[in-house]
Amino acid sequence: MAGSPSKITPLAEAASAVANGASLTAGGFAHSHQPLAFTRELIRQGRSRLTLMSVAECWVAEFLAAASMLEKAYFSNFMFEGYGRCRCFSRAVEAGTIAVEDHSHFGMVSRFMAAGLGLPFMPMRAMAGTDILAVSGFEPAHEKAQQLHSPFGNGVVTAVSPLKPDVAVIHAAQADHLGNIKLFGTTSVIEEQARAADLVIVTVEEIVDTDVIRRQPEMTLLPALMVDMVVHLPYGAHPTGVYGYYDHDAPHLADYYAASATEAETAAWLDRWVYGLPDHWAYLDALTMSRLLRLRVDPALGYLREACHG
Amino acid sequence: MADVSHDEYMAIAAAREINDGDTAFIGTGLPMVAAYLAKATHAPRVNLVFESGIIDPQPVDLATGVGDYRLAHGATKIAGTFYALSLLQQGVIDIGFLGTAEIDAYGNLNSTVIGPYSRPKVRLPGSGGANDIASMAKRFVVIARLDRKRFVEKLQYLTTPGFLTGPGAREAAGLPGAGPVRVISDRAVLGFDPVSKRMQVERLYPGATLEEVQAHVAFPLPAAPSLETEPVPDARLLRLLREVIDPDGVYVTRAKVDLGS
Repeated sequence: MAGSPSKITPLAEAASAVANGASLTAGGFAHSHQPLAFTRELIRQGRSRLTLMSVAECWVAEFLAAASMLEKAYFSNFMFEGYGRCRCFSRAVEAGTIAVEDHSHFGMVSRFMAAGLGLPFMPMRAMAGTDILAVSGFEPAHEKAQQLHSPFGNGVVTAVSPLKPDVAVIHAAQADHLGNIKLFGTTSVIEEQARAADLVIVTVEEIVDTDVIRRQPEMTLLPALMVDMVVHLPYGAHPTGVYGYYDHDAPHLADYYAASATEAETAAWLDRWVYGLPDHWAYLDALTMSRLLRLRVDPALGYLREACHG
Repeated sequence: MADVSHDEYMAIAAAREINDGDTAFIGTGLPMVAAYLAKATHAPRVNLVFESGIIDPQPVDLATGVGDYRLAHGATKIAGTFYALSLLQQGVIDIGFLGTAEIDAYGNLNSTVIGPYSRPKVRLPGSGGANDIASMAKRFVVIARLDRKRFVEKLQYLTTPGFLTGPGAREAAGLPGAGPVRVISDRAVLGFDPVSKRMQVERLYPGATLEEVQAHVAFPLPAAPSLETEPVPDARLLRLLREVIDPDGVYVTRAKVDLGS
């Protein structure tokens, strides 16, 4: 496809595609492959009234809450594995400044599936009988899900309505300039999020030649037709990890978690690691090369043997 | 063996719930330890599935969570979250394990809020895969320390279905799984009356009494007709737990005080 236009986009330009009031979904699971360089750029640029449509993107939710940019969240679970609750996010919900709509993981994925497959709803078998369906958040309960008798007379299912984010932001391992995407290790909900969203932005560790993609097409997570923009961002998931590249930065996570105990310390942390640095390259300089090199994984294991727990 | 900790009793009791050949859906913490312990002892053919999309791994280091790359080592398949969760709906998951902030007499769980939903006193992490596991796994086990604030008469929010309002309620809601079979606590193993579907005491840990257990539970908790005492764990199990599976005591706290004190 020589001559096809490149989708490679500078970070600042890609982030500007997320408008005030937009709905956003982000890739990643627990301390793995969350698009945090993109999130930091969005915070630097400043946004308001964002809506998250999320499964387990705890760090994205926490940082957007810490920066007071989040208005609503459809989600299934925000928690820092090994640490505890997302404190800024939780405080904002308790204060009534972020409105929430709860789901199970499968419920959220099924709503993305309905949107991504072009269906008016998706039938599923979880969530029935619970307050997840009985208690409305900001969305009327009957618009979220309804019990449905199978037209074939073989059972009752829960039908959930589609959720279509304006923008999906995903961090992956490799992309070519056309937007074919590879990610190794667990892939969380990326395929469903990318199919559901109107605009798909993928930040990657490496830009590779299209021949690398064509050599092992079964390893492609997202084909170019699903992807609108590619941003080259080495260490773009830090302080979460990327399988095969670098482990999550446990001391950095612990520092943030300690800071998140109070609003003042959180603000100081954001000043130091987000607002005080002009771009992602300055962020990496501030972390120092030795720290980044120490996070590189054992290629045989896919993770870093020496990393301490928590 | 007075130096066996509550956590160690819980991990060993949880491991016993896994049958050889089961496909088990596992979360972070004690369930992970219990699953490895079962696999190393009576259930070598157990097949483990994690909501992060990891299937049948052979980890050489204890993972800090289901998203930890330590857990991906030696897996037979790595997929996405949808794939892993869809196995529950397909009906191939035999057993799942859950923790909780609140539990009622029917084994319903709250991991969402303390206080009103829209303006809670404490916002908790939310269901995650818990509701999916409890709705669709063939059976599930809850792991929870006894506390009157946890074992409550009425949940502040029903996140995850146990037997809902009692006999027949799960079937009426269209939930395919059979519901909770056991609650592993720090003083006793609890189960459910087959007719009323309400919680009852099945096995007391050595030194624990029914009165002491009841004192930590806000709803009436009768003894099962077949009430037994939990056997003291044998030395081999304890050695595996302490030296091989969780040598740093990340998830299983060692004894500081004797049981019952």
